Amino acid sequence: MPSPRANSPGWMPLLCLAVLMSCLRAGAIPAHRAALDRHYDRFLAHPLAACTTCHKPSSIQAPESLDEFPHNPFGNRLRELGRDRNAAGEKPELITRLKRIAAEDSDGDGVPNEAELLLGHNPGNASDTPNRQELATLSARQSEFAKFLASYRWQPFAPVVRPAVPSADSGTAARNPIDLFLAAEWQRRGLTPRPEASREVLLRRVYVDLIGLNPSPGELHAFLADSSPDAYERVVNRLLDDPRYGERWGRHWMDVWRYSDWAGWADGGQVRDSKPHIWRWRDWIVESLNADKPYDQMIREMLAADELAPADPDALRATGFLVRNYKMLSREQWLEDTVKHTAQAFLGVTMGCAKCHDHMVDPISQREYYAFRAIFEPHQVRTDRLPGQLDTTKDGLPRAFDSTNAPTYFLVRGDERHPRTNDILSPGVPAAFGGRLEIQPVNLPASASQPDRRPFVIRDTLSASEQSVTTARSELERLRSDAKSTRAQRTEAQLALDIAEIKHAALRSILKAEAGDSGAATNAVRFQRALAVFEAELKSHQARIKLDTAATNAVAEARKKSTEADQQLAAAREAAAKPLTAAYTPRPAETFPATSTGRRTALAQWLTQTRNPLTARVAVNHVWLRHFGRGLVPTPADFGRNGRPPSHPELLDWLAAEFMQPSAAASTSTSTASGSGTASQQAWSFKTLHRLMLTSAAYRRAATPDAADLAADPDNLYLWRMNARRLEAEAVRDTLLQVADGLDLVRGGPDIDQKLALTSPRRSLYLRHAAEKQSEFLQIFDGPSVTECYVRRPSVIPQQALALGNSELAITLSRKLGTQLVEESRGDASILITRAFERILARRPTAAELQSCLEAFTPAAVSESIARTHLQHDAENLVLVLFNHNDFITVR
Amino acid sequence: MNPSQHSQRPPGCTGVSRRTFLADTGMGFTGLALGAMLFRDGVRADSEGWAPPTGKPHFAPRAKSVIWVFLCGGVSHVESFDIKTELNRYAGKSISETPYAGVLATEGKDVIGANPAHGNRKVILPLQTGFRRYGQCGLPVGDWFKNIGECADEIAVVRSLWTIHNDHGAQLTWQTGRHPRELEHPTLGAWTAYGLGTLNENLPEYVVLGTPTGDCCGGTFTYGASYLGPENGGVRLNTDPKNPLPFIQPPAGSLSAEQQASNLSLLGKLNRLAGIDYPDDANLRARIKSYELAFQMQASVPETLQLEREPEHIRRMYGLDDDATRAFGEQCLVARRLVERGVRFVQIFHGGGGGGAWDAHSEIKSNHTTLARQVDKPVAGLLKDLRQRGLLDDTLVVFGTEFGRSPGAEGSGRDHHPQAFSAWLAGGGVKGGVQYGQTDELGFHAADNRRYVTDIHATVLRQLGLDSHRLEVPGRKRLELDHGNVIQEILA
Repeated sequence: MPSPRANSPGWMPLLCLAVLMSCLRAGAIPAHRAALDRHYDRFLAHPLAACTTCHKPSSIQAPESLDEFPHNPFGNRLRELGRDRNAAGEKPELITRLKRIAAEDSDGDGVPNEAELLLGHNPGNASDTPNRQELATLSARQSEFAKFLASYRWQPFAPVVRPAVPSADSGTAARNPIDLFLAAEWQRRGLTPRPEASREVLLRRVYVDLIGLNPSPGELHAFLADSSPDAYERVVNRLLDDPRYGERWGRHWMDVWRYSDWAGWADGGQVRDSKPHIWRWRDWIVESLNADKPYDQMIREMLAADELAPADPDALRATGFLVRNYKMLSREQWLEDTVKHTAQAFLGVTMGCAKCHDHMVDPISQREYYAFRAIFEPHQVRTDRLPGQLDTTKDGLPRAFDSTNAPTYFLVRGDERHPRTNDILSPGVPAAFGGRLEIQPVNLPASASQPDRRPFVIRDTLSASEQSVTTARSELERLRSDAKSTRAQRTEAQLALDIAEIKHAALRSILKAEAGDSGAATNAVRFQRALAVFEAELKSHQARIKLDTAATNAVAEARKKSTEADQQLAAAREAAAKPLTAAYTPRPAETFPATSTGRRTALAQWLTQTRNPLTARVAVNHVWLRHFGRGLVPTPADFGRNGRPPSHPELLDWLAAEFMQPSAAASTSTSTASGSGTASQQAWSFKTLHRLMLTSAAYRRAATPDAADLAADPDNLYLWRMNARRLEAEAVRDTLLQVADGLDLVRGGPDIDQKLALTSPRRSLYLRHAAEKQSEFLQIFDGPSVTECYVRRPSVIPQQALALGNSELAITLSRKLGTQLVEESRGDASILITRAFERILARRPTAAELQSCLEAFTPAAVSESIARTHLQHDAENLVLVLFNHNDFITVR
Repeated sequence: MNPSQHSQRPPGCTGVSRRTFLADTGMGFTGLALGAMLFRDGVRADSEGWAPPTGKPHFAPRAKSVIWVFLCGGVSHVESFDIKTELNRYAGKSISETPYAGVLATEGKDVIGANPAHGNRKVILPLQTGFRRYGQCGLPVGDWFKNIGECADEIAVVRSLWTIHNDHGAQLTWQTGRHPRELEHPTLGAWTAYGLGTLNENLPEYVVLGTPTGDCCGGTFTYGASYLGPENGGVRLNTDPKNPLPFIQPPAGSLSAEQQASNLSLLGKLNRLAGIDYPDDANLRARIKSYELAFQMQASVPETLQLEREPEHIRRMYGLDDDATRAFGEQCLVARRLVERGVRFVQIFHGGGGGGAWDAHSEIKSNHTTLARQVDKPVAGLLKDLRQRGLLDDTLVVFGTEFGRSPGAEGSGRDHHPQAFSAWLAGGGVKGGVQYGQTDELGFHAADNRRYVTDIHATVLRQLGLDSHRLEVPGRKRLELDHGNVIQEILA
């Protein structure tokens, strides 16, 4: 059977479209339908979440106007009201209008509109009306609906309004407001929270969460011995101040912001994705987190540091967020990824759906998609020089900047081959999220538009030029003192030195001329002409040597070449004798626009206003996910209608409000007795947010089950216990290295070849990570996808067992740690086993565990030296066993 | 074993006691019946109103396993399974001088993502090999594939395929159905592993042989599981029994098998002790099982690769006695041994790395002569061997490539040609001796019964008893084109 689509060009964007066709094309109709759906939620019968609730049924395939798809009486009434409210200068929000006509009877069938809707009948069609039995259920249904309306209505696209913190119940062991929000749900559902976790479990939990590593046995014992009431809070504060925190959370945010090293061919000869040296952005992420740079500032720098801090190379690193989307093969794909993932990372909405058609469930029109794209249309990426390295393939600063003034067209069905060239979009943001872009073009300093005129580039260029003079001079000197050198060689070297010197002189004059010295321009011309003469002399000299040594049959050809070279020399001399001008040949230097559109700055400002509904909600949810194993919104990259609703909407909103504007109330209850100066109360502070979550009773709870709670809430949606989590790939590898005392804590720097994953002692976030360049070891443990990784999905596969049991890394470290354990324990097996548990699992063994291990050890031997050999062997095997222990890879 | 055993979800966690936990998990090395199922369910049963596949087919299957042979670089269709004699007749003429000039019109036939560096080859290159008709069905096959020709009555050739990319990223398209621009999506093998699970707890469900597609053109994505999770991705095995997969053996001399067994025994004890406080922990149960599977694989995988155990006449069928055919012959023979042992999906790459060995932009005659010699006999041997063992009835063999090659000359070679190409299927309930679909007289466009790559996928899944719509994962909406349409006409 032939498939028709096979013949239709542009099939791909078409596919998502068919479903739209049954609806009116003009206007934001899916948004209206979504509003109806949102207001009535599960009380709206499925057939009523349709166009025909407000429109008369139409047989026209894709009606283009209201004439073709007229309203029914219910729709008419809504439309009239909208017109009235518009005229009165009020917002014609659909929900308000729906409420206004709830008690009216638009179709005149004797049943009010809302009653019909609640009973699953069309309020605009008099022949579709509830029967008597249905009407009998009405009052129960209405009271349920009223209850629903009175409950907390989570509106992710409306600004955050700080909800009131529930009042404390006498029986609740609340440590801060988080616990009060959770307790409210337990009471509602009859759940009993689990007690606090053991101190060993708690300590490892907070270490892994904040720094991605185990506590040392010393730290473990100190914590167990510390009976002061704020012992735990002090650990939290210490770990937040530990620079390993930035590495741990840097990797998390690298997931969300899609960090990728460059991909392509030929060792950088063809860069296809991202850019070399983008590790500087990774270092910016780590440093910013360690410095607790406010999140709003981080967003501004990532999207627009080139406009906001154009002369600050440290801040410019942040634009790696944009550079990362670079795609050599397709500007379309590059911009598509930029739009899609900027929206998804910061706003948690799937704007990508609106590329080909209006979003089907969220209020984003296709036009708004292209308006959002217009924000990024002018931007490009480049690699700036850094002090000490003129060759940007060796080192440099990849960064974003505005350069093109390409228009953004509306692409019909998202197909780049069908732009509507008379329909150019201005930059904008979806209206449903509120606010608008305030765009101001930015004048850039000369250091940004003419980066090669920056003093350090001039210095480096001069010193490279000086270096070639020195090299030429020492070559000449070498030949002079070399008895075997020929005169021809020495002449050639002398000429090379002359050329280097005159080049250097020309460069100096050019630089002066650039700085405005007009006399220097004439000098530059003089030197450049002299340079041409010297270069022609060198060629003439070389041609003559060739002629002198040519074989008989090649003499004619060599003579011809020599004559030509002499003629060129004469021409150069003649040119040099002409009157001087100021028209020197400028040095090769790139120039970029002196203004930037300001579009991305405007976007960053819009995103970081406290009335932006999504930025803070999405960020706190990402942090929550990584502390509690599940987001309050389980779909961290989709806060729209296709995502899942939050388990605790009020808590999420409260955390978002708290993140943007910390309240005194929350801080007094969290920093009980720590007295730490680090408990800052700045807005958008991740460290404050971590502290708030980690010092809640919820975070400190045990992960052990309870039969009654399990029956009532098997997925632990309401957090009556802590969720157990598996270590991420990087934490597995880093902790293996750490427990055997083999982790190199040097921070930052160029990406390390991923093939060295089994031998490099550096933390895993420094290993190269790009399409087709990923460490096999890390990927076996579900390392991040390069394409997108808003949430890690841990697996349990046999390859993991092979990696932890057989890899060179595991075996080498087991030997190393085995030796250390034998020494530390002075040959005492029980001590050895205890230490092994403490180092690898960060806890002491139980008596039964100790016994099982002892039984596996070789029985006492005749001589001490044999016993020691056995013990070393047993220790290595015990280490391997514990590397494979579920408690190593699991955080309880 | 009986696949229906996989249909049971693990018992609910509610009320699990310490004692039943110990009893449930205390099965040692032998009690692995629940293994594969647990490690699939344990990590995924987190979505409301959705359950992972049960491992049961959706309807009566015609095949249990698939051997998916893939030739990297683009095999000439007009000289293999879609012989075009008109190319000899008009050799040296421009297509526009032939009665078939109409094929140059691209209206309605263009290809997304075409690489402008390729294409536009208009001067016709004559066939670079002879051909003859084979079998009762009379299928014309190029002389490069004489041995496969001998099996003509076993195979169904689909000659009307087209694809969406004019460069070797189309290799990824063949595996996932998606344009290479869209990067990773589950491959057909991953869907199979995900939908059906294992028939043998000692081996992975989805095995990859040969050198896969190069990094330029899909790399690991060509056998990856994407969002279906790495447990459903292809496990690469080398045919060298000494090093068949990453970390299969500890470094030489570091650990004896006895020591490993005793470590595993202690590990089992410790994990069970530590689990007492967490009797409902499905991940722990899954981990205990997966460690035991890994241990089994250390032995079962090398055993599967012991080809020296095969009798001499079988080794000769696959060409193991010939330097030209040995490497690929070994892979075909390993594929049979894997399928015999219950592996669901064996994917064999030929000529992988870079753009692919079959990419004959010049000297197509010597290129295809050499490469076809490497695969022709082993693949024919595989078909014959499966047939004589009765395995062909429930093993589906698919022989494909990423695109065809241009009827027009690129010097002495042929260029990329995504507008038309061929693949064939055999066994597993597919009719033999069938020629399905047609290209135009020059082999330029797929003309009658045009079929996209995913129609092959749909056909394979149909024979395995799977409905891809029912495998969809929440939050991962697939397009209709991803699902494809079953090619009913070639099914017995």
